[in-house]
Amino acid sequence: MKNRQLKYLLIILLLSLSYPVKAQSQHSIQLDYANTLFSTRQYFDAITEYKRLLFYDSSNAFSYTANFQIGKCYKAGAKFDDAIKYFSLAELNANSDEEIYSSKIEIVRSNILRKTTSRALQILDELEKKYSDKEKIDSLNYWRGWTYIFTDDWKKASEHFAKINYYNELKILCDRVEKEKVSVTFATVISYILPGAGQIYTGNIFSGFLSLGWNVLSGYLTLNAFNADRVFDGMAILTLLWQRFYRGNVQNAERFALEKNIDVANKTLNYLQKEYRGTKP
Amino acid sequence: MRNQSQIFFLFTILSVSSPAQTDWVKWEGKQTSYEIQKNIFSFPKVHNESFGLKIISFFRDTYSTLISDLDGDNCPFFPSCSHFFIESLNEVGIFKGSLMFSDRFIRDLNFFKAKNLYPKHISGKYSDPVINYTLNSEKIKHYPGGILVY
Amino acid sequence: MFIELKVVVRLLSYAKKLTWKFLFLYFFVNSFLIAQTASNDFNFFSPLHRLSFGNHLYFERDYLRALNEFREYLKYENQDTARFRFAECFLRIGRYQEAADNFKGLFYNSTLQNESRLAYLEAQFQSGDLNSFRSIARQDIYTSAKYSREIERLYYITHLMDNSTLPDTNIFFSVFPDSNKSNVRNFYQRKKHPEYKNPVTAAVLSGILPGLGKIYVGEISDGLTSLIATGVLTLLAFDNFKQSHNFRGWLFTGLAAISYTGNIYGSAAAAQIYNAGIKYNFDNDVKIYFEKRNYFLPEKYF
Repeated sequence: MKNRQLKYLLIILLLSLSYPVKAQSQHSIQLDYANTLFSTRQYFDAITEYKRLLFYDSSNAFSYTANFQIGKCYKAGAKFDDAIKYFSLAELNANSDEEIYSSKIEIVRSNILRKTTSRALQILDELEKKYSDKEKIDSLNYWRGWTYIFTDDWKKASEHFAKINYYNELKILCDRVEKEKVSVTFATVISYILPGAGQIYTGNIFSGFLSLGWNVLSGYLTLNAFNADRVFDGMAILTLLWQRFYRGNVQNAERFALEKNIDVANKTLNYLQKEYRGTKP
Repeated sequence: MRNQSQIFFLFTILSVSSPAQTDWVKWEGKQTSYEIQKNIFSFPKVHNESFGLKIISFFRDTYSTLISDLDGDNCPFFPSCSHFFIESLNEVGIFKGSLMFSDRFIRDLNFFKAKNLYPKHISGKYSDPVINYTLNSEKIKHYPGGILVY
Repeated sequence: MFIELKVVVRLLSYAKKLTWKFLFLYFFVNSFLIAQTASNDFNFFSPLHRLSFGNHLYFERDYLRALNEFREYLKYENQDTARFRFAECFLRIGRYQEAADNFKGLFYNSTLQNESRLAYLEAQFQSGDLNSFRSIARQDIYTSAKYSREIERLYYITHLMDNSTLPDTNIFFSVFPDSNKSNVRNFYQRKKHPEYKNPVTAAVLSGILPGLGKIYVGEISDGLTSLIATGVLTLLAFDNFKQSHNFRGWLFTGLAAISYTGNIYGSAAAAQIYNAGIKYNFDNDVKIYFEKRNYFLPEKYF
């Protein structure tokens, strides 16, 4: 009895001895090595090692993983054209639906960062037709929201984040940006009515009053000249001064409004890039 | 805004033309800024501090705050005529600078200047840099007409 | 190995039961197998694997990575092709000095003496120092009998690319293939007699009649505008003096004078800009034409 137990024990021991070496092949060691380089932010060298793995991977067991990782390296180096190329290769070599989906989402994220947002939206449209489970739809809405943030369309971004959850942090952020923005049309229109008003509305008070001053002065001079029947002088002042400052006032109102909106957007974009903790593109 | 994105698109197309070139120089990880780029071309300052130029510098300050900032976008060139004047003063001094400005001003008066095929500056204007007019043929930077320059 | 076998035989003889014998045998064979797999195990970084991976990268035009692989391989082995490709990688990514240095190492005692000389000269040429290229290309140790025509052609092409004196037409055209002769002749003529406008002539013409210099340069509308502007200012000056508005008279005289001299200055500048355009177009055409034909050099050396 005792002898038999010992025998089995020995057999198990011997069998287990021969396995560890076989289980972890050199290829997975190579993958680990490349992954270590990736996680220590040595992206250029990591790509070399992933490429080496791909080159000697005759069974294509690592095609998806390595291509996907190369894409991530390029993305981390802000080389989005190359990143998208490798994510597409990963997609071609994917072994499951889930892997195809991950590659597609990475392509979307690279497009967002590259600011080619129309392409990102196009891919999201395609994905939306294909998937219907709640988790995927949420994730698609999330990336759609980010895409709209990068097109500077905060209202649409907010709408898509709201589809995930009405109290979504990003939704609230987008709403705030939308509220803080000034209306370019309004600024322009009030400048047509009262010169300088648009500039004051956007917070450029000095410039606004100065504009108003110039317009009043040149308007007065023009009317004065016409009243005194100095038609040539009147025409000259009208075209060379009044018209110029009037047009300048409208242009300034529009420019200041646009610049202010960019500032508002940039403040939030900066926050999103540096402090926001959630998933980013 | 639309104009800017088109320019960006053009830029990316040009940069992809040769795929492997990205890796011909070793690179590090890098973050792209999320921020929207603003193109602001501010009025140049007068560099030289001699007495004569100080007076011009005073006029420049007054002109830029009281008039130039308020009378809108009037010059089809980049740099605009007044910017061109200050930049040429800085580059070649007051005598040559005035001649360059006079020549530029007359070119601005020309109604058919579009036919001269200036390269296009990123701000959407005709690019007409000071450096091409200093009579130093080595320094002239030629670009074909209509091409986009920075 | 032999000692191990002896030990096993001994142990086997000690083991009385057959199962034990079997187990020992199993253990022995198994341990042998482990040792086998370990020694046969795939080594990604063996010199030979470095070489084939390097070649793969080289064909993918991933030259910087390729040259690192070749460098590692060459630490252990010496192979002319690998050494040549190592140097060629430098050439392709624009590190011409390193390329030249490494090609030089293949000048003697290698199977690629001719190719390395040609490639060395290509590196010198690409580095942009055409004067030094021309002097090197005429020295015997750098030329190769096999590629003498290629080198000769490259030597003559460089004359189209900088301000050196153009060689005699007969020698110049003789090195180019017949199908390209008419194009090359065209380039030669354009280089020899460029259609430049003389800045001095432009200035003098504008001195005679405002705007005439600009018209000579081809800026017709600019010329007419200056003529009108200077004319109007002069008229205004005359008119004001006639009506004894002296201040305005002098003001317009000053403006007319600045406009007149500015136009003379501007005409000379316009001629220079015109010439820069002619030169740019010529250089560009030459570059496109010869680059498309890879300067008549072999596309791949082997």
